[in-house]
Amino acid sequence: MFRSTSLRLAGLYTTIFAILVVVVGVVTLVATRQALSAQFDARIRAESAALVQEYRAEGLTGVIDAVHERDRTPGSLAFGLEGPGGRALAGQLAAEHAALGWSNLRPAGSGETLRLFAVALPDGHRLLVGDDEERVEALDGAVLRVFAIALAVVVILGVAGGYALSGDVHRRLAAISGTAEAIIDGDLGRRVPVRGSDDDLDRLAATFNRMLDRIAVLMDSLKQVSGDIAHDLRTPLTRLRQKLEAGQARPEDREAALEGALADLDSILETFAALLRIAQIEGGARRAGFRPCDLAQLAQHVTEAFSPSAEDQRQSLGFEPPADGAVRVDGDAELLTQLLVNLVENALRHAGPDAHIAVRVGRAGRGAVLSVTDDGPGVPEAERERLFDRFYRLERSRSTPGSGLGLALVAAVARLHGAEVALFPAEPGLEARVAFPEAT
Amino acid sequence: MKLLIVEDDREAAGYLKRALSEAGHAVDFATNGRDGLLLAAGEPYDVIVLDRMLPQVDGLAILRTIRASGVKTPVLLLTALGGIDDRVEGLEAGADDYLVKPFAFAELLARVNALARRPPTQELRTELAIADLKLDLMKRTVTRGGRRIELQPREFQILEYLLRHAGRVVTRTMLLESVWDFHFDPKTNIVETHMSRLRGKVDRGHGHDLIHTVRGAGYVLREPD
Repeated sequence: MFRSTSLRLAGLYTTIFAILVVVVGVVTLVATRQALSAQFDARIRAESAALVQEYRAEGLTGVIDAVHERDRTPGSLAFGLEGPGGRALAGQLAAEHAALGWSNLRPAGSGETLRLFAVALPDGHRLLVGDDEERVEALDGAVLRVFAIALAVVVILGVAGGYALSGDVHRRLAAISGTAEAIIDGDLGRRVPVRGSDDDLDRLAATFNRMLDRIAVLMDSLKQVSGDIAHDLRTPLTRLRQKLEAGQARPEDREAALEGALADLDSILETFAALLRIAQIEGGARRAGFRPCDLAQLAQHVTEAFSPSAEDQRQSLGFEPPADGAVRVDGDAELLTQLLVNLVENALRHAGPDAHIAVRVGRAGRGAVLSVTDDGPGVPEAERERLFDRFYRLERSRSTPGSGLGLALVAAVARLHGAEVALFPAEPGLEARVAFPEAT
Repeated sequence: MKLLIVEDDREAAGYLKRALSEAGHAVDFATNGRDGLLLAAGEPYDVIVLDRMLPQVDGLAILRTIRASGVKTPVLLLTALGGIDDRVEGLEAGADDYLVKPFAFAELLARVNALARRPPTQELRTELAIADLKLDLMKRTVTRGGRRIELQPREFQILEYLLRHAGRVVTRTMLLESVWDFHFDPKTNIVETHMSRLRGKVDRGHGHDLIHTVRGAGYVLREPD
């Protein structure tokens, strides 16, 4: 528990606050004492001035009366009147013989210090006014008590709050590390609970979860690739083996067998390369090389390259440029070209003779849209999504050449670019649309 | 021609040596990076075929070393990686061409030949010609027997590439890379379609063909015998 970061932090804060309270206490004490002493002295001075006034008005007897009367009043200051030669005339301070002006005095038999002010009256008399410091000390005590209580409250609150706070943080961090431990032990489906409070720990948890999702996607992809390889390469490899065996058994067929075997091998290698490429694209490392690319220019280049082939199949392939020139997206030109080529080839291959195929590039909001539309037979709704899966092919296309990886690669490239790819009915035909996010 | 093959798989290197020798080349081979580096730096070769992944000294390291020491021999880099960025990395290290394993031998041979006879410095020519076919690079015009031939821009590029490699086999992938900048293999026969149109324009109606198909390899532009 004491190794918890948050508790240590709470401890540090509590200490700082306690020190602050002590400093404020000391400052307050000094300031109050000074103010109080000044007030004290002012009162003594005022009393002595009043008695001097009395002396002038009423003479010596008036002062003596006044001193006696004040001595009888509880809570008043202490007074003394000395005659010439130090004879005590009235008041408890009469025998103190203090020097003129301010002085501090500790009368015999009493533990308290007296603050004294002595003033000379015209005919050799001396008037003393004093007060013990007890009152100042009492106030000091009051101030000290208040700050002691404040200090105690700060420490108690700090420690208790620190425990509560660190307990919470500790629990949440423990949830994160517990999840990580569970994942290390193989429970890949685990995720860190997110509160929805959007504080830093919550955001950390959300980021952590996103990272886990990403890892899960990559692992799934890896798993699927190995599954796909096992499943979809075995069939052509078996065919290859049969051809070679046939060539071995019948020398007269050898030439044809070898040629067929080479063709099979090439298609197997092609499938293999496409799978690796998809896996590589899904790895995402390629994103580091993203540059602004002009989609319109790429689309025009691809359309132009494939137009003669389309014409030979009695199809038409046209590019409809955007209204206002270049349409830029952040991306990898080579992969975007391949995406375009795969979409165009798909249309050329599956739209049938006499089809019209249009490649369009335009803007949608602040993003870009690329579409390849044909007026061929289209694809039933139930199968449209699945066409982006690896090796998925429509029943009627099984006899046409192709690996069933073209659209899977398109989907991988689109995902890498943060783009959405989907198939829509074009009435008649099919539209493949890729929507790119805004270029940064 | 004198070739050096640096390839760690002895069997593959053996096949390559035999096939290249049959094609009329003198072939040395090294099966590890260190020997490869010593031979490449010490002997004058016309072309070096270098495997990218080698024991001891990596292919790219050899390439950088010999380039740094001033050896300008054309290098064809072979790789089993096939990664999308590997090509760029290889070319940046100083390779002149790049071939992904597995490849057809005809492809390798065509590329070795294309590299070997590449002029040492890019000469500035404004006209390419073979027999009665002339291609003017400045005016972008083509004539055969004095008669003007109208070509589409891509057809012009293909013909220019064939003329620059006249007498040598040019493969489908070489055309895809140099003319369209496609570094992957489209399923559609775009090369064949363009070639057939180009041949229709260049050869049809003339006594003898200049463009020939080499079965299983590609095309060649050749003077009539």
